[in-house]
Amino acid sequence: MLTLRTTNRVLKVLKTAQKCEQSFHRWLAPTLRELKRRKDIQGPEKPVHRKTFLEWNYDTEIYAFSKRLGEEFNNDLLQQALTERSYIIREEERQKNVGIEQPTLNLSDNKELVSKGSDFIDDIVKRYLRTVLPRLPEEGIIGIHKYLTSIETLSHVSFHIGTSELILCAEFPVEKPTLSNVLKSIIAALIESSGDSRAALFVRDFIITQIADKDLHQFWEPEEPIKLLSEILARDGIQSPEPRLIGCSGKNTILACFRVGLYTPDNKRMIGLGFGETVDIAHEMAARDSLRQLFGTLDNILLPFNLKLDQLCASSVKNLFLNEWSQKTLPFRPTHFELRQAKEISSN
Amino acid sequence: MSSSRFTPRGFPRVPLQNGIGRYICQLKRVTLRFCKSSGSSRGIRDFIETDLVSFAQDHPGTALYLKPRRHKSPSFVAEYLNGEREVISCHNFTAQQMVKWLNLYTTRSGIPLMRYVKMWHTECPSIQGVWSPFTNKDPALNITQFPSEMLSRPVWEEKSATEELVEMINKQKISDENNDDIQKVQAAHV
Repeated sequence: MLTLRTTNRVLKVLKTAQKCEQSFHRWLAPTLRELKRRKDIQGPEKPVHRKTFLEWNYDTEIYAFSKRLGEEFNNDLLQQALTERSYIIREEERQKNVGIEQPTLNLSDNKELVSKGSDFIDDIVKRYLRTVLPRLPEEGIIGIHKYLTSIETLSHVSFHIGTSELILCAEFPVEKPTLSNVLKSIIAALIESSGDSRAALFVRDFIITQIADKDLHQFWEPEEPIKLLSEILARDGIQSPEPRLIGCSGKNTILACFRVGLYTPDNKRMIGLGFGETVDIAHEMAARDSLRQLFGTLDNILLPFNLKLDQLCASSVKNLFLNEWSQKTLPFRPTHFELRQAKEISSN
Repeated sequence: MSSSRFTPRGFPRVPLQNGIGRYICQLKRVTLRFCKSSGSSRGIRDFIETDLVSFAQDHPGTALYLKPRRHKSPSFVAEYLNGEREVISCHNFTAQQMVKWLNLYTTRSGIPLMRYVKMWHTECPSIQGVWSPFTNKDPALNITQFPSEMLSRPVWEEKSATEELVEMINKQKISDENNDDIQKVQAAHV
C-alpha cells in the first residue's frame, strides 16, 4: 500500500513537471483576471493629495514655485498667502482631539492678503484696459474687467502656475474660489516683498494676457446699436446715418445674404458695413461695425502686453460712459506706440 | 502606433498663454528612480554624479527628487503644471542620453502627445477678412440691366474654320493690293 502511494505521488510530480515545461505560466492569466475583478468591485480610486507621496518636500516645492514665477518672495508672506483659514481650524481641531488644550500652530491665514490683492488686481486691470482701449466706453471696460477678475479666470491662472498642491486648506480637491483667493493673496505677498511695479508685471503677464486670443465683444456689446449710433453721431453734430443695401445674393432662398452699408448724409462717407440673412440683421450688424470702429475695438487690433506700471494711466482717470460718449470729448491719451517710443528714448 | 485610431489629433497649443507674458517652464517636478547596484541604472547613476547639480541649477523652477529602489529598472517621472504625469523608462541609458531626455521633457508643455493636423494654429485664419460673395465684385454690376447681352455670351468663343479662312483670304487680299501699289510706284519712277 505504501509503495502504491509513493508511486502515485511520484507520478503526480512527473505530471506537473511535464506541465511546467510549457513556455508560459498557466496560472498568470486567471490570477490577473481575479485581481482585476476585485479591483473593479472596489470602484474607481479616489484622487490622493500629492503630499501623501514619499517624494514630497514642501520647502522644495515652495522654493521651486517662486523660482518658476521668476519672483523674489518673502518666505513667511508666501507661506501665509498659501494658508487658508479652513486649514488652521482643522489642524486646531486635530490637536484638541489628541489632547492638546491650547493648540499653537504659528500659522496666520491669508484673509487680509486676499482683500489687498483683490483691490490691486482690480486697479491694475482697469488702468491697463483704459490705457490700451482709450476709446472704449467705461461699460466695456467694466465688462472685460469682470471677465478677467472672475473666479473662473483667476482659478484657471492659479491652477496653471502650480498653486493647487501647495495650498494648505481643508478641502481636497481644492475648490475654484480657494484657488482664486490664493492667487490674489500671492499678488499681495508680492507687493509687500518686491513692490508695486513687480506685482503689476505679474498681473499683466498672468491675468491680463488671458484676453490675448479672445474676442473682446463677447464680454460687452451695446444693446440696440442702431439707436446708440445715431445718438452718438447726433452728439457730434452728424445726422443719423443712412443705410443702403449694397449687395444681396440668394434672395428668397435659405442661404440669403444681404450687405448693408451705413453712410453719413453730409459727406456720403461709409462708416459701417454689415452682413446678415435679412436686411434688418445686416443693418444692425453695420451699426455694430461702425460702433466698433468708433470705439477702436475692431477685430484686427493688437493689444500691447508690454506696458509697465508707470506707463499706465492714473487710477482716477475713467473712460467716457456711453451716455456721454462723443468723439469731441474723447480724453487725449498717448497710444501704446507712443508709449513704447517714449520708453526707448528714455532707455537710450 | 501613430495612426489616428490611437493617438489623439489636434493643433499645437500652449497652456496659460505661456510666452505672451513671461515664459514658465511647465515641468514642475522630476523624480529619478534608480537602483544603486544594478547595471541597467549605471547611466542614471553617472548622470546623478556628473550632471544632476548643473541640471538643478539651470532649472530652479523644477523640484527634483531622487528615489533609490533596490533591483528596480530605472525610470524618471515628469510632472507638469497642467496636472499631467509621464513615466519614462531609462533602462540601460547612458548619462548623455539622460541629459537629452530630461532636456526634451523640460521643454515640453505637458499637453499629451498628439498627431498634429498642422504645424501651426491661428484663431484668426484670414487677415484681410473672410471671403463673401461680394468680395472683389465689379461695382459696374450694381447698375447693369439683366438679362445683359454682353454677360450672356460665353467667356471664350473659338473661331470656326470658315471664319479663319475668310480672315486669311482678306489678309492676302490686302497684302496683294499693297504689292500692286508698290509695283505701280516703282514703274512710275522708272
